[in-house]
Amino acid sequence: MPKIAIDPITRIEGHLRVEAQVEGNKVTDAWSSGTMWRGIEIMLKGRDPRECWAFTSRFCGV
Amino acid sequence: MGEESLYESLSRRGVSRRDFLKFCTAMAAALALPSSMVPRIVEALEKKQKPYVVWLEFSDCAGDSESILRAAHPSIAEVVLDIISLEYHETIMAGSGKYAEKALHEVVTKQKGKYIAVVEGAIPMKDGGIYCTIAGRTALEIAREVCGSAAATLAVGSCSSWGGLASAAPNPTECVGVGKAVPGITYVNLPGCPHNPENMTAVIVHYLTFGSLPALDAEHRPLFAYGKRIHDNCERRPHFDAGQFVRKWGDEGARKGWCLYEMGCKGPQAYFNCPTIRWNTGTSWPVQAGHGCIACAATNNWDAFGSLYSRLPNVPGASYQTTADKIGLGVAAVAAAGVAAHAAIRVAKGSVKEPEEK
Repeated sequence: MPKIAIDPITRIEGHLRVEAQVEGNKVTDAWSSGTMWRGIEIMLKGRDPRECWAFTSRFCGV
Repeated sequence: MGEESLYESLSRRGVSRRDFLKFCTAMAAALALPSSMVPRIVEALEKKQKPYVVWLEFSDCAGDSESILRAAHPSIAEVVLDIISLEYHETIMAGSGKYAEKALHEVVTKQKGKYIAVVEGAIPMKDGGIYCTIAGRTALEIAREVCGSAAATLAVGSCSSWGGLASAAPNPTECVGVGKAVPGITYVNLPGCPHNPENMTAVIVHYLTFGSLPALDAEHRPLFAYGKRIHDNCERRPHFDAGQFVRKWGDEGARKGWCLYEMGCKGPQAYFNCPTIRWNTGTSWPVQAGHGCIACAATNNWDAFGSLYSRLPNVPGASYQTTADKIGLGVAAVAAAGVAAHAAIRVAKGSVKEPEEK
């Protein structure tokens, strides 16, 4: 049976892809992936702890 | 969708003629145009078709989308949403997956060379661009296709302008702005974290009225919005000049609204019209709210100026430790030191004898 992919998933912030295995009219297995990565945790290493809020608050602007 | 004029669509939605004219006047003011230009803006928005717009999101946080969706003033919100014929925007569109991509493809092929591409978010270049993909394609591939066929690209926010937060050291995914990622396109940078939607609206109004983009600086930013320094337009500037500084959060200076320079304000290095147009329909802006400017619209702001809370060195006129009397004393001290130095040189040359101690 077919595997379907929905990419992009809209009406969310960020980039999301969902793949689903469909048997008959039922989803039997599914996989989701975030398809964007910026590495903000890596940027925070070695910074002044007082400014980290300004980075982490930009994970998501919604 | 793209067929009706802005004014027609506004009247259909119940926006009065008076509010429409007020908007046109506000746009002329934002663009620093003389009031004699208002009739031209009115005429253009009455007659011209709304431009087709696709809004691309790459390595972003959707903060620039939020900024435009949160435009609180009713007539401005109407105008912002109605000024353009928004055909594709991942965060707010109904269709998903292949239906979303079909909408994008239709604009790019059928309106080739005529639509406006808005880009939010940086473009990661590392490892072939795999750190941001949509529908199996990299941000870079999509930007090349969509921005490459657009009449103009508006890079909204710092990430799409020069890399922004996504490019903060050590820039893990080698993010760059759209102008750098896709060389040769016609584009305007509207940095800011987030961008201010009134500036974006003004750029579109300029484009509809004059058929061209507004005057830009060397960093592709419109001069009307990025030509003036925050420090020179700051309501707390008199306190800087008077040597009245906040030295600790919650101290007397903080309560009295004194200058935030000592607390790390980057206003002396930031060029943006934040103090004049402000946010949430002119309600406030960061410095008014009591926090220093983080120079969010300045290139490389996350790394160029030290920590957000470290004081900028070498700001001319920073008499931060003094009162007016002390400045006077300081000048006298410098003069005295100069006289002493001069005397020392004369002594060294043997032209003056040192006075004897008594």
